[in-house]
This record gives sequence, structure tokens and C-alpha cells, in this order.
Amino acid sequence: MKAALISIISIITAISVFGQTKVSGKVTDVRGNPVSLANIILTGTYDGTSSDETGSFEFTTSEPGWKELQVRFMGFRNFVKQVELKGQPIFLSIELQEDFRSLEVVTISAGSFTAGDQSTRTIFRAVDIATTAGATADIAGALNTLPGTQKVGESGRLFVRGGDGSETRTFIDGQVVLDAYSPSAPNAPSRGRFLPFMFKGTSFSTGGYSAEYGQALSSALVLDSKDKGEITRTDFGILSVGADAGHTHVWERGSVAGKVQYTNLRPYFGLINQNIDWKIPPTSIEGHAAFRQQSGKHGLLKVYGNFNQSDLALYNYGIDDESRKERYDLSNQFQYLNGFYKNILNQNWMVRGGFSWTNLYNQVLTNTTQIATRENGFHGKTVFEGTLSERVELKTGVEIIGRAYVERTNDDQGGDFDEFITSAFAETDLYITNHIIARSGARFEYNALSNRLSLDPRLSLAWKPGSAGQISLAYGKFRQSPKNELLCINTALQSERADHFILNYQHIENNRTFRIEGYYKRYTNLVKFRNGDDHALNNSGYGFARGVELFWRDNKSVKNIDYWISYSYLDTRRNYLDFPLEATPIFASKHNASIVYKHFITYIKGQLGLTWSYTSGRPYHDPNAQAFNGGTSPACADLSFNWSYLPNPSLILYLSCTNLLGRKNLFGYEFSPTPNSQGIYSARAIGQPAKRFLFIGIFITLSKEKSVNQLPNF
Amino acid sequence: MKKSNVITLLSVLILFSISAVAYANDYLESMQKGIDAVYQASDIPQLQQAVNTLERIGAAENTKWEPQYYAAFGYLMMVNHEKDAATKDAYLDRAMTAIEKANALAPGESEIIALEGFVYMLRVTVDPGSRGPEFAPRALQTFGKASALNPGNPRALALMAQMQHGSAQFFGTSTADACALVERSLETFDAFKSQNPLAPRWGKRMAEALRQQCK
Repeated sequence: MKAALISIISIITAISVFGQTKVSGKVTDVRGNPVSLANIILTGTYDGTSSDETGSFEFTTSEPGWKELQVRFMGFRNFVKQVELKGQPIFLSIELQEDFRSLEVVTISAGSFTAGDQSTRTIFRAVDIATTAGATADIAGALNTLPGTQKVGESGRLFVRGGDGSETRTFIDGQVVLDAYSPSAPNAPSRGRFLPFMFKGTSFSTGGYSAEYGQALSSALVLDSKDKGEITRTDFGILSVGADAGHTHVWERGSVAGKVQYTNLRPYFGLINQNIDWKIPPTSIEGHAAFRQQSGKHGLLKVYGNFNQSDLALYNYGIDDESRKERYDLSNQFQYLNGFYKNILNQNWMVRGGFSWTNLYNQVLTNTTQIATRENGFHGKTVFEGTLSERVELKTGVEIIGRAYVERTNDDQGGDFDEFITSAFAETDLYITNHIIARSGARFEYNALSNRLSLDPRLSLAWKPGSAGQISLAYGKFRQSPKNELLCINTALQSERADHFILNYQHIENNRTFRIEGYYKRYTNLVKFRNGDDHALNNSGYGFARGVELFWRDNKSVKNIDYWISYSYLDTRRNYLDFPLEATPIFASKHNASIVYKHFITYIKGQLGLTWSYTSGRPYHDPNAQAFNGGTSPACADLSFNWSYLPNPSLILYLSCTNLLGRKNLFGYEFSPTPNSQGIYSARAIGQPAKRFLFIGIFITLSKEKSVNQLPNF
Repeated sequence: MKKSNVITLLSVLILFSISAVAYANDYLESMQKGIDAVYQASDIPQLQQAVNTLERIGAAENTKWEPQYYAAFGYLMMVNHEKDAATKDAYLDRAMTAIEKANALAPGESEIIALEGFVYMLRVTVDPGSRGPEFAPRALQTFGKASALNPGNPRALALMAQMQHGSAQFFGTSTADACALVERSLETFDAFKSQNPLAPRWGKRMAEALRQQCK
């Protein structure tokens, strides 16, 4: 009995009467500044406390023996230490290390405008594309209001820093798109094939981009498609140029969405006078389908497909002899399939990959000629991204790009090629300190067509001395295969090359952004006609572009008003194609400026948008004059307007109009190929197809959630 | 077996069960303190302290959803006291992490789903222009899901009413639906009963304030 009592007493003693241990200490960061409100945890128990304003803490525990002590605070790495609790007071000096990745301390920013809706530090948001006046919900149209772009009115494409439209490549979920624009009449602007509402984020880089993106000489437009749909809904749109219908079906772990769109400009052209003599105004039928499925905890599969059939016909008039008219027919078919997969491999690594397939057929018919082109392309890619250590992140991947191109004319001219490119890239982000990041990488390519190996280095540095300002530098070598119509003449042509040097300063504070960027771009290996013969091609062309760009955006100063101002200065010359000497190409304009204004007006339930843009005169070549590209066209300016009206949550009325003031913009001149009887080459101005473009749309959304509308679409 | 050994064994068993009961009470008691601290906190430091306490309990009790739920709730309350958009997002990220943990521990718990909807609703307030179109319907949908899981969850109804009222004001449409819903949520608040002593009690004052706006 006595023994039993002793054992009971000893057990009770062991459990409850063991001595209390006082644990105290001080939490600081690496610079010795106190960290207040850090959580001090004795792992596996409730014991612990929070640090006070001086970083000090103190608590007592009755736990015995060796225990793990953790200190946690937002923006810092967890601190872990084993402590022995035996009744004696413990004092701990704890220095927390900053967690580089959890705070957006410093980011690579030279050359790029990244837009995502999640982060509040982005300069340009995905929704901006839809709400920029003058863009009429066209991705390229909206991006043309950013610095680094030169507006080319008769093209509608993205011309970046002295590069032509083909030097900007579009990537969807990392996969290249071979032809990102819908067909258009000669000297009439084309629109992008992809609707802005499909994307949750866009990254528009005007130079110095990541080693992941190849086959792009001047610019990379990287579009990230939306993940799983959130709500089951049906959408209808009635437009002044056609109609569309879409449906999204959502289940627990996936979604499927489809949309069909029919466009016919005949009724519109019937009402509003056009400068083009249309035989068959543009018509197109287009379908999009998207499938999303989540797998496991983090896996996601995305499949997207798109088809488009476009037709148009018009009459071209002779420059010399206005009475000579010739019919021009264009027919274009496009099919695109894109698959994307991503998953997390373990705590430190993730994998993403995908494939894309493009099939493009284009046929142009006139009385005298017939040109048909077909391009078939495949792109496959796998990328691993992960963490090597606290300060080093690695991205590495492999890709293959295969293209088959055929061009045939009625007189059996033309050519073809099969190009196959294998490439690999690796890039590391090194956090030198909290405020300095260095990104260095390289891209290796083997082009089986030209039988060439290449290695292109890329380097970026960013330094953020304070909380708002940041200085960045970027350098890289870039290459892109020559245009299809040139490569099919001479398949031995090498890639065209460019070196980018960029210096950038950016200041973001309180929803106001200021940015200035200067750059120098050197072109080498450009395709050149030997002695002006367009069938004797080599890579002896060269050139340069340099400039300074400014950007200011403010959506803070006045409530409900958001505006940005951008300005680009460009100086560029090149000697390529048929140029007899180094000259400024006809698509390059020295000064470009835009002011974009958006005002949400609550009492009229809508958003008003205004965009003013200015493009200084561009060179043109007058065969009657001595100097090559010696003429300068007049400057262009445009004031566009849009208005979206939301009478109730499931209905949007949308109205937009370009060139409100009806200014007569001239983009350049074209000349008769042969001189007339007086020995003069006759000229004709290239102007706008119509003074204004007016667009009206009604968008209706049906869903169980009543407050859903197509705002993400517009 | 010797008598003394039997007694020793018995006493050990009794002590174990006593400590188990004490332990359970300790959990409830500590949680209650932590929850009260969150409810009573009036600024970010007080909220962070309360959240720290709840996170300590959560780290020790890795099968219980309540510590994660209230830690997330604490972070959501911090958003209301914060002005900087990026910091608001950081709090919302933290809340979302805790909600995901809670969701994994108690799948299908209506209260957790309602809190998830609350995160989406606050995401909208950070940048209504660009986030409204995506997160507003998502918030409504999530409140709907919470309500379907437990029609007696008054917070799901009150939050949905708040969201509907906000969008009705934004679009200038009738607030009648939102106001009817807030009445229903208040009835549900009065009828709310839970077996769980740690069940959420917040939200009624928010609903009452909304009813005032409806008058």
C-alpha cells in the first residue's frame, strides 16, 4: 500500500509539479531592427507568445526536457531551435532572415509590361485591354497605347522599337502562335485572332525577355489563358457587325466552354460609306472551345481550340488609270489547338508543358495571279521550375518547333521549306541581396534547315534601393527565322539577329506609376537582296534602333478616374531587303504618344473611355525623287471614344467610335510600278478605309448568379 | 497480481483519463480565449496577437479546424484596418492558406466555405474595377455553396446579402432582394444552434447594420 502511494505521488509530481521554465528573448531582423508581433511557438504545445514593439518576449512553460521552439512572422523565414527546459530561465537572441520570395521586394522589370489581376503591383491589367477606347477589344490595339510601340495605321499589328510587325511573336500558355492576326484587305488594319477575355494575364515585353522565348526578334507577347471556369453561364452578343453565342459549363474540378461567332460587315458597310470598293465585305465564322480539368491537388490541364474561316473580295483600281479595276479575292482558313499541363512535383519543383498545332491556308486570287500558301506547325515544350536554395531559383526546359510551309502561284512559281528547331534553355534568378536580383540565362538552338547551332545569352539585373523606385538593366541576344516568303526562296538563309541593351527606371507608389526606359538594339544578319534582285537573298543586312520612352499612370488622384500617358521616341535605320543604303523603314515613326482616360460614372452606370494617340510622319519612297525613302507622310492623330453601360447586372451595352473628330489620316503613298507617258510615277495616298469605325454591341448573360455579366469580356 | 500493483495500474489509468479530460477542456478553454481576443481586437497588432495564439493552438492541434478558421477570420479583420492594397492582399493570402488547411481537416463544413467566399468578397474591395467581374460572382457562388451545405448557416446568408447589396448599389438596381435576404439571415441568426461550443458567433451585427441601410 505504501509503495502504491509513493508511486501515485511520484507520478503526480512528474506530471504537474515539475518546475516552470521561463523563456524570454528578443526578435530582430538581420539589421538588428526589432520585429514585433512575431509568433513564438513551443511546437506541439499551446505555450508561446508574441513579441512586443521592442521585439522582446517572455513566457513560462511547464513542459519538461528538449523541445522545439519556432518563431514565425510574415515576410520572414521560420526560425527553429531546440531548447532544453529544466526550470532554469532561458534567454534567446533570435535573428530572422527575410524570405525573399514572399515579399515582392525586387522584380525584373526592364522591357516588360506584365498584367495579372491578382497582383496590385502590375502596371497594366488584363481588363485594360477590353476597356481601352480605340482598341475595340483588340489586344494589339490596346497594347499600341503603351510605350515601345509604333502605331502603323494600315496594319493594325504590333510594331515594337523599330521592328516590323512580324518581329513580335505571340505565345499562348508558353506555346507559339504562327499567325496571330486575322486576314484583312491590302492596306487595311487586321485584328488579333484571340479575344482578350480568354486571358487572365498578359505580359508584353518590348525587349530583353526571358530565355524561355525564342524565335522572336523584337518583342514577346505572352498570354496566359484563364484557369477553370467559375460559373455555369450562357452568353449572347448582338453586334453591329455580327452575333455570337457562348456557353460555359462548370463542374467541381473542371469546366468546358464554347463560343461561336459570325461576323459580316455587309450591313455595316451598307450604312457607312467606305473608301474600299467591296465586292464581298469581310465575313467570317469562328469557333472557340476550351476545356479545363484539375487533377490531384495542384495539377491542371488546359486544352484550347480555335477555327476560323474568313472571306473577302474587293476591287483594286489602277494608280495610273483609275478606270482599270481588278477583282481581289481573299480566303483564309485557320485552325489552332493548344494543350497545357502543369503540376507540382514536390515542395521545390514544378513542371509545366504543352503543345500547339497550327494549320493555316491562305489564298489570294486576282484576274492575273493566284497565290496559295499553307503553313503547318507544331510546337512542344516542357519546363521545370524550382528552387535550388533560398537565394537561387532555376527555370529550365526543352522545346521543339516544326513548320512546313508551301507557297504556290498559278504560273507554278513559289517554294517550300520544312524547318525543324530543337532548343533548350536555362535561366537562374539569383537574389544577391534583398534588393538586388540577377537573372542570367541562355538559350541553345539547333536549326535543322540551316544546319546551325546557336547559343544566345540573356541577362537582367534589378536594384531596388528604396520602397518604390527600382533601376533595371537587361541585355540579350535574340534570333528569328526570316519571313516565310523569303525563306521559301532560299532555304539556306540563317536566322535574323538582334542584340538588346535596356536601361529602365520605375517608380510605383500608391497606384501611381512612373517609368522611363532607354534602349539600343543592334540588328545583324537581316535578309538582303543581292544587287536588288529579290530572288538572290543573303544575310548581309544590318541596322539599329535606339530610343527613350516615358510612361505615367495614375488611378489614385481622382476617384473613379484612371489614366495613362505614354511617349516613345525612336531613331532607327537599317540596310536590308532592297534598300540601296541605310535608311529608316517606312513603318517607323519618330514620335508616338498616347493618352488613355477611363472614367467610371456611377449615376449613369457606365464607364466612359477616351484615347488620344499621335504618330509623327513616316518615311515613304518616291521613285520620282532621288533620295531613298526620302519622303515624309503627314502625322496621324486619333481621338477615340467608348462607353459601356450596365443597366442591370446581366446586360451590357457597348458603344465605341474611332476618330471622333473625323481627321483625315494619311499613312503613306503607293506609286505606280511603271512611269506614265510623261515619265512620272503616279502616286496614291494610303488612308483610312473609312473615316470612323463605329461599333455597337449588346451582351446578355444568363446564369444562376444574377450579378454576372460579360464585363470580363469587355 | 499484487494488490499494490493493481492500485498503481488503476491510478495511472485514472490519471490518464483525467488528463485527457483536462486536455479537452484545455483546448476549448484556450480556443475560447483566442476567439474572444479576435472578436474584441480593435487594431492590427491586437488582431495579430490573437491570430498568433490561434496559430499556436493550430500547430499543436493538427486535426482541429477551428484554430485555422479563426486565424483566417483574424486576417480578414486585419484587411479592414489596412490601407495598402499589397498588404491587404498579403493578409488575404494568409487567410486563404489557413482556410485551405481548415477545409482539408473538415471537408464540407459550411462555415469554412462561407469564410472562403468572404475572402473573394474582400478581394473585390481591394480593386473593384479589375477584380469585380471575376471575384464578385465567385463570392456569390461560394456563399451559395455554403448555404446549400447548411441552410441554417446565418453567416453565409448575411455575407451573400452584403455582396448582393453592394452590387445592387454599384449597378444602381433594386436592393429589394438583398434586403429580403438580410431579413432571412437575421431570422437564421436567432434560430442558430450548434453542437460545437466553438461554433462561429460573428456576423449578426454586420447583418443588422445592413438592415439599417435597407430602411
